[in-house]
Amino acid sequence: MRLGTIGALLGWLLIFLSVALLIPIAFSIYYDDGNWRFFVISGAIGFLLGGGLAWSCVSEQEMGHREGFAIVAFGWLAAAALGALPYYLSGAIPSYLNAYFESMSGFTTTGATILEEVETLGPSLLFWRALTQWLGGMGIIVLSLAIMPILGIGGMQLFQAEMPGPTKDRLAPRIQDTARILWSVYLILTAVETGLLMMAGMNFFDAICHAFSTLATGGFSTRTESVAAFHNPWIDIIIIVFVILAGINFSLHYRLLSGNLRAFARSEELRFYLGMGVFATTLVILANILFGTYESWSDSLRYSVFQVWSLMTTTGFGTADFDKWAPICKFTLVALMFMGGMAGSTGGGIKQVRILMFWKFTRMQLRKLIHTKSVDAIKLDRHKVPAEVIQSILGYLSLYMVVFVVATMIVTGQGTDIITGSTAVIATLNNIGPGLGGVGPCSNFSGLPDLSKAVLIICMLAGRLELYTIAVLFVPRYWKDVRYPRWRWSRS
Amino acid sequence: MRVIVVGVGEVGRHICQQLSAEGHDVILIDRNADRLKRVERDLNMLCIEGNGASAEILEQANISKADLFIAVTDIDEVNLIACIMAKEYGVLRRVARVRNEEYFSGASPLNEHQLGIDLLINPDQVMAEEILRISKMSEAFEVVDFAHGEVILVGYQVKEGNPICNITLADLKDLRGLYDFVIVAIVREGQTIVPRGSDIIQAEDRIYLVVRRTDMAAVEDLFNLWSTAPKRAFIIGGGQVGFRVAKAMEKQKVDVALVEADSMRCEYLAEHLNSAVVLNFDGLDARDLLSEGVDTTDLVVAVTNEDTTNILSSLLAKYHGAKKCITRISRPDFIPLLGKLGIDVALSPRLVAANMILRFVRRGAIISVATLLGSEAEVVELVVPERWSHADKPLGSIGFPEDTNLGAVVRQGKVIIPSGDTVLETGDRLIIFSMKKAIPMVEQFLAS
Repeated sequence: MRLGTIGALLGWLLIFLSVALLIPIAFSIYYDDGNWRFFVISGAIGFLLGGGLAWSCVSEQEMGHREGFAIVAFGWLAAAALGALPYYLSGAIPSYLNAYFESMSGFTTTGATILEEVETLGPSLLFWRALTQWLGGMGIIVLSLAIMPILGIGGMQLFQAEMPGPTKDRLAPRIQDTARILWSVYLILTAVETGLLMMAGMNFFDAICHAFSTLATGGFSTRTESVAAFHNPWIDIIIIVFVILAGINFSLHYRLLSGNLRAFARSEELRFYLGMGVFATTLVILANILFGTYESWSDSLRYSVFQVWSLMTTTGFGTADFDKWAPICKFTLVALMFMGGMAGSTGGGIKQVRILMFWKFTRMQLRKLIHTKSVDAIKLDRHKVPAEVIQSILGYLSLYMVVFVVATMIVTGQGTDIITGSTAVIATLNNIGPGLGGVGPCSNFSGLPDLSKAVLIICMLAGRLELYTIAVLFVPRYWKDVRYPRWRWSRS
Repeated sequence: MRVIVVGVGEVGRHICQQLSAEGHDVILIDRNADRLKRVERDLNMLCIEGNGASAEILEQANISKADLFIAVTDIDEVNLIACIMAKEYGVLRRVARVRNEEYFSGASPLNEHQLGIDLLINPDQVMAEEILRISKMSEAFEVVDFAHGEVILVGYQVKEGNPICNITLADLKDLRGLYDFVIVAIVREGQTIVPRGSDIIQAEDRIYLVVRRTDMAAVEDLFNLWSTAPKRAFIIGGGQVGFRVAKAMEKQKVDVALVEADSMRCEYLAEHLNSAVVLNFDGLDARDLLSEGVDTTDLVVAVTNEDTTNILSSLLAKYHGAKKCITRISRPDFIPLLGKLGIDVALSPRLVAANMILRFVRRGAIISVATLLGSEAEVVELVVPERWSHADKPLGSIGFPEDTNLGAVVRQGKVIIPSGDTVLETGDRLIIFSMKKAIPMVEQFLAS
């Protein structure tokens, strides 16, 4: 464990983010909301801290997987800390913990908010909110990897620790090129959605903010009422189509864009993801029609499709208050929250591929009971899944349950009711945003006690980085062989 | 015809034996002097010791005068190179045995046409295809295609209690009604009979029918036979053949259980098969076989590398009630014996592969041939030559040679199942069922 390497890379990350902090200034000046100076101050703080760290730590070129975990985990914590500054300094969010919650909710693409009225923030802060989601969606570390030539070797560790999913596609021989490809696809889709939303009647500001949080499966809107505020079915359709796209593995998008249709058609996980979505949509539509939630069938269709996909991909945009739906609908939606998007997408949750493999594993166990001497292999896309991947998935699921139970115990331990408490954990651990009850789509997280908020912040990060990256930091052995950095100024 | 055969393995030996017996000049090249000596003693041919892919040896065999080149060593690369060499020397037709699938995957830019090979033969694949073909007909023990598959020759075992027992062929012909068929041979207690109208079918006979593929179901109905594809199959032995059969059956939605003793191989099989259940135990483990339900399956395919395992597991399955079994046996000499033991179909990979090559080789005047297991008979395709003395006369009035039977006539792509009134024309392709010894007589008869 070389703290020097970690410090140097964190420094570079802060420098990169302080540059990103300057982008909202353009909106601040255009809309004249007067918030530009807070971005300048935050940017300056980030630049000085980052520059100081990067300059003073002598990076040792060797980076193992242990350093990778620490860089990613602390990188995200630091990014959220820096990202919270504009909210705090401008006075829009007076408590730093709340500002940190909002910032972490942004970077982890959760979309949970502590704001009563998001409009009070002003355009530049709203843009920053959306931008944090967009940066976090594909991964800030991977992005800095793609843009900055700071890493000669060892990028794979960071990529592994940050990208979601049990196995990772390498699209190019060099990891930096893979990151660049994924970010280009991301950029293209964002640009297309922005254009379409403007054609449907949004202004540029709303369009780009919504495109940012759609592609990141984030869920931050520029309106308190979320997408419902626009009262425009075309906007609903465009957003939900891109929500579905954002829940698909981006390497599949890349293969499709480069003309490889077969990769798309062959992916078992994609079929599972779409099938699951279609099944849940049908169920919720039928339930809404039967229980007479809406007056017309077309409304049932429109709102059910939107809520199901928005929650399953862990986006969290709302066009309806699903807290008022029938119990079966609410339960289906909560169950879907765990599923998440595909591995390699920007969606959170357990990920479709893990659910699929878990199902295959269960089926194999059943087959073993019938044919005691049978030999089975778990296959995905016609290839055998190695035993260690299956083991890591099973471990992942049990760790997931443990985190869920412990976090819910802490939150409900502070007096929050069980529906609010458990769905608050589900909504943050899976990076969704709204839950049910006190944290439902028409409420927010500001009413929760401070300790609960802190726990939920950790849940968001643990969910985004897929548990292991965070959990390993709590293992004492991990910190056994810490090597303190060689400071540049102490060099003889 | 001058034929060069490289490699005196299982397949090479059988081909040499057949071709040499038919009067062709066969030159055999092999690196193993001992094996060559044994073959030279048994068969009438020229043997050359050496590498079949070396120019020196090939020239020694006078390759430029050869009409046919067959490379069937155990090494794929040698066979391929030898065939490429043969092409350079101007041999008209080249046959190579290639076991490794990777060399002839459809997508490879170096396919058989590029390499100049007329027939690439993979013994495992041919064996698997044969098993699949036979498996589809639960009562049939032999099926051979003619005239591009329009007409087939089917062999059936007549069981006790079948209504066609004790009926003369002439009476059967009255029954045939709309559907044309010809009973071309009967095998009774190991002896082949080319039947006449007065012959009677008895229980335990094996009868050979020529029938149009489209009429098969109706004719089987008439004969109280069923040819349903199996619903549940048990494959014992997960080698190349077992794997291919399992894979193909899986695609046909057959419920397949595949038994393999080697656990590493099982892993591979489980990875590459989908719905088939891969079971890891020995094919002779009766308790495991029965607990997995071998007794209630429609079909047992025993294709391990051990003849004893194949025979014993087939017998076990049949004893407990499996409907049909196909058994692989590497020693063809034992095949006649197995029928008596109650094994429905015994296949030797050597014979299957060799027959495939022979069928290809005999494409000419005699268009295709099937050597029927356990009998002295052969099926040949012959063409009626120009100015044939018996043309334009009804069949009933020309005395066809003894021990031969005309099964079908192919005229301008159409198939006719002949009767006494049929008139043969020039260019007709005749499918003749004949005792081996009678083939020269048929050829003579057609030349007259």
